[in-house]
Amino acid sequence: MTDTITPVNAEVHDEKLAEESPTRSSFLGYFGTKLGGALISLVMVVLLGFFAFRVLPGDPVRRIAQERPMSPEQIAELRRQYGLDKPVTQQFLDYLVNIFTGNLGESYVYRTPVSELIGQYLGPTLLLTGTSAIIAIALGLWLGQRAAWRNGSLFDKIATGTSLTLWSVPTFWLALILLMIFGGTLRWFPTGGMVSPGVEPGTFDYVVDVARHMVLPVVTMVAVVFAQYLMVMRASLLEEKSSDYLTTARAKGLRDDLVRRRHAVPNALLPTVTLVFMHIGGLVAGAVTVETVFSWPGLGKLTYEAISGPDMPLLQGTFVVFSTIIIVMNLIADLIYRQLDPRVRRA
Amino acid sequence: MPDLVFDDVSITYRTAAARGRGDIAAVRNVSLSLPAGGTLGIAGESGSGKSTLAMSALRLLPDNAVIDGQVRVGDRSVADLSFGELRALRWSEVAIVFQGAMHSLNPVRTVGQQIIEALELHVKDGWRTAEARKARLAELMDQVDLPIAKAASYPHELSGGQKQRIMIAMALACEPDIIVADEPTTALDVIVQGQILEVVKDLVTRRGISLLMISHDLSVLATACERIAVMRNGELVEVGESQQICTEPREAYTKQLADAFPTIGDPASRLKPVTRRTDSARTGSIDAIDAADASAPARTAVEGDAWSTGEVLLEARNLSVTFRSRGKSVRAVRGVDLACRQGEIVALVGQSGSGKTTLARTLLGLEAPDQGGQVLFRGKPLGRSTKRLREFRRQVQLILQDPSAALNPKLSVYESVAEGLRIQRYPGDERAQVAASLENAELMPPEHFFEAIPHELSGGQRQRVVIAGALAMNPQMLIADEPVASLDASARGEILALMLRLRDELGLSALVITHDLGLAWNIADTVAVMYHGEIVERGATETVLLDPQHEYTKKLLAAAPKIVGREGVLATAR
Amino acid sequence: MSTTEQARPVAPMTTRQVASRRRRASAAKLWREFRASASGMSGLIFLGVVILLAILAPVIADRSMLDVTQLTDQPRFAPPSWEHPMGTDHQGRELWVRMIWGARTSLLVGVAATAMSMIIGTLVGMAAGHFTGVAGGVIMRFVDFFLVLPSLVLAIVLSSVLSRGVLTIVIAIGVTSWAATARLVRAQTLAVEARPYVERSQVLGAGHWHIIGKHLFPAVLPLVLANTTLTVGSAIIAESTLAFLGLGDPTQQSWGTILKDSMDVSAATSGYWWYVVIPGLAIVLVVLAFTLVGRTFEAIVNPTLRSR
Repeated sequence: MTDTITPVNAEVHDEKLAEESPTRSSFLGYFGTKLGGALISLVMVVLLGFFAFRVLPGDPVRRIAQERPMSPEQIAELRRQYGLDKPVTQQFLDYLVNIFTGNLGESYVYRTPVSELIGQYLGPTLLLTGTSAIIAIALGLWLGQRAAWRNGSLFDKIATGTSLTLWSVPTFWLALILLMIFGGTLRWFPTGGMVSPGVEPGTFDYVVDVARHMVLPVVTMVAVVFAQYLMVMRASLLEEKSSDYLTTARAKGLRDDLVRRRHAVPNALLPTVTLVFMHIGGLVAGAVTVETVFSWPGLGKLTYEAISGPDMPLLQGTFVVFSTIIIVMNLIADLIYRQLDPRVRRA
Repeated sequence: MPDLVFDDVSITYRTAAARGRGDIAAVRNVSLSLPAGGTLGIAGESGSGKSTLAMSALRLLPDNAVIDGQVRVGDRSVADLSFGELRALRWSEVAIVFQGAMHSLNPVRTVGQQIIEALELHVKDGWRTAEARKARLAELMDQVDLPIAKAASYPHELSGGQKQRIMIAMALACEPDIIVADEPTTALDVIVQGQILEVVKDLVTRRGISLLMISHDLSVLATACERIAVMRNGELVEVGESQQICTEPREAYTKQLADAFPTIGDPASRLKPVTRRTDSARTGSIDAIDAADASAPARTAVEGDAWSTGEVLLEARNLSVTFRSRGKSVRAVRGVDLACRQGEIVALVGQSGSGKTTLARTLLGLEAPDQGGQVLFRGKPLGRSTKRLREFRRQVQLILQDPSAALNPKLSVYESVAEGLRIQRYPGDERAQVAASLENAELMPPEHFFEAIPHELSGGQRQRVVIAGALAMNPQMLIADEPVASLDASARGEILALMLRLRDELGLSALVITHDLGLAWNIADTVAVMYHGEIVERGATETVLLDPQHEYTKKLLAAAPKIVGREGVLATAR
Repeated sequence: MSTTEQARPVAPMTTRQVASRRRRASAAKLWREFRASASGMSGLIFLGVVILLAILAPVIADRSMLDVTQLTDQPRFAPPSWEHPMGTDHQGRELWVRMIWGARTSLLVGVAATAMSMIIGTLVGMAAGHFTGVAGGVIMRFVDFFLVLPSLVLAIVLSSVLSRGVLTIVIAIGVTSWAATARLVRAQTLAVEARPYVERSQVLGAGHWHIIGKHLFPAVLPLVLANTTLTVGSAIIAESTLAFLGLGDPTQQSWGTILKDSMDVSAATSGYWWYVVIPGLAIVLVVLAFTLVGRTFEAIVNPTLRSR
């Protein structure tokens, strides 16, 4: 046990020479992994779309029959139409084939292919939710970082209080109230739809008219959603606020607002990006009720109509499309995150 | 060149009374001065107020800190400066070197950008244009011995030592008159620590910059500073020349700090870690300690090398461990042979990343070794089945580095100590066994501690609870991973003395993993030096530490900061 | 450090006594800290009143007051007045009676759905955090999937397919809202799992169940409870939204179905403001109260959130 090993390997650890080349992890590799994840999620959506509608104990046809009087022949006809008389495995195969050929079935209420309907209604929804998302993110992040930086100030208290209250408001109710005040009593804005009848598409008037119709729905969605973003940004900046590198920045003689803008915010944004995109689902939920209240001709209103039908193929279609939109948004979030964080970009 | 003067400075943190803590005095009536071109070290344990004092020089304390007295840079009082004047003072006259290994660099900006930023804020003649600033950056990188290419790196791409060099380059950027270095080498390995201290010393002497350095480690301060101030609980204990503070301290507390870092080769500290029980740490087990102190030297003298004939308890044969992640495989441990005999204390010495912790985890069966390697306990191979492992774990127990983390904060001392007994379905009297274990760990009377939860205990007491939890299982051997690294200097000696006493009285073997050669000198019978996953040298402690053969061991010994001129330093300790 | 100095009576107490005494002491401490928060207390008191009213609904207002066939002489759409404190609805029913009966369903659904979501979320989250390797990865993939899925749309799908009723609403909300809890629990589990005391426990010979039961679950529980209070609020909103979309149980009074009725008779555009404002305001206040209580609780059990 007292033997000593002679120095065979005289190479001695030297800190200075420990040269590790910064390997740039390939963008394609990262993108591939994330895309793969998104594809798995898509497959799961497709599976869920099938199982929720065909396999769960509730029988969609019986559910339809609950809502409206039907003769047994009509029910049998409906079953045949939906292919519910076939064995489940056969149904599943048909479903898969249909999905991948873009065939989402035929709407029971509209009597037109679901994919065609969704195509028509997708544009207005993207316009509404897109506008709302951009405004809500900008407003939420900006107010959130100000509130966190002046933690405990009057501004912070007002911002936090407002957010908590707005977070507690059901979207559809806020829509109703705004409709009541600004559409009903004050008559400042139209109460529903996307364009007034008779306005020529493509003209400047058309743009102004759509914008006027958008005001109330956008305000509603922004109000509810920006509050969440504000709280997320506030929380994550508060976490960064005690970081050592901020002390370094201050010690260097940096002005306070530069410490915030250059050092604190870029770091606080990282967790925020993930959470903001994760909350995009909330925006979609908002779209369903807001579009319903304001009769906005989008996917949300289509969903509402599918519920009241009940129109199962249509509901299935909107479910798959909504989920796909969100999965794509999260894929984008991953890419933005990589851009913002060198630890992911150059791991 | 201005002086930095602390004139009767007291700093109090005001906290909301509702939280029930009220005001906390962090610094009390401290007067210190750093003359232009001088070097001053402030030593103290955690909570001594040394960092708070240093931060007050640039008014970097949080808003709830109230400062009484004056902090002066030159003839200006820092408290009277406007924000504009303060910003101008910061970095261009007084710069700080933070613990770079921690999070003092912004993770999303390149280190070059962060240095350039300081230059942009304090434009001086040397760097009026963007090109001039680039040139200045290159010059700074060169001064701290880093290739200019590293300026384009993000902090996560650099090692701890490289980050610390960047911090130094950043502090030098605007040619300050005074540099405050706050624990600049903590969390760095010995060799890297030596290199960083060299850089700091060299720059200070060549440029005539004043240096205020803060550390818990007296030997580090002694390397770089002419004068040392010792602080405790916010108060100044003693100030004096480094030599005098380290070799002939006037205050007992200073002596404690100095002794906590033993000089290798000093027979006074061999197999006899310094223990002293001051009033605050008294637990009523004085007798036991005295007995231990008395027995330790006697034992080494009489039975000397009893361990070398003992039965081999735990043995590693040709042990390798490979980690695979993301397609890359890393061999953390390579072909290690190691044995620990009955009643032997083995120190496994190495820097972070040398694979010593992985080796310990493998010996405990927490990691699986590669094909061909074996762990043997009493000559029998260690099985991988749950039952075999459970049986084995009664025999070999683990002591972790940070006792505050090794105890579940929600469980009382009793529950923590009894946890193992319950897992192993101990047939005897649980309560008696817990009490006996606490007594063995010198927590007396044990009943006092039953209900306590970890945060009511001091660091040293917590580590005793962890040890009691291990002792409750009546083990044959302890594996201790940096058992005193997170403890204050005063608790360090006590825990080491406890480990020696357990060996003597209960015949326990121990494998102690450490980066600290002084610790090995304090308690180990044999030393094994680990480097890049291999054991490069092993043997009796005196042989290895006083007559090292391998280059790496020599380098480690040379890098360990020494208190020059201390009595008992042997010529052999090169 | 001072424990040794405090001369505690060295009475031979059993561990169980010690543990229960400590639990009582920590509950008292929790309550003391909670009481110090004005917003938390006002939320708690408001919730107490609402819950009391909901429980006492049959005593305060007989069920017959909701029977449309017995209300032929009641005015329809009467605005709030001394006679009709909250006004009447399109069938002449007193709105205040519908409100306190509706509180029963809204609170019940909120609490039941939250309980379901918490149980699923805690189990899945702890499993995802504790089990490493392929199993943990698969579970996490699953959680992430449910996390990004638009939960309202999925809840709509579920409540459209399953037969109508309060239980369906509970299931629809519970099954779609657990992912956030699972993520939180997983993060906490990973944090606890990385603590050396779990490793120490392993070295002492502990198996999965010991570690989960003794170390992970107690560490996760306070966070889960605080999160529960916050989630009840969202569940109440989700219930009202589903009811508003016509997926509720039309035979049960709930704040959501009242709003649905008001929408069906275009109360918002016809000037029957009370029919819209009162139930909505009730939801806002109750959800806000749950949020305030939850946040106060969360700040106490998780001190790193203190300043939020």
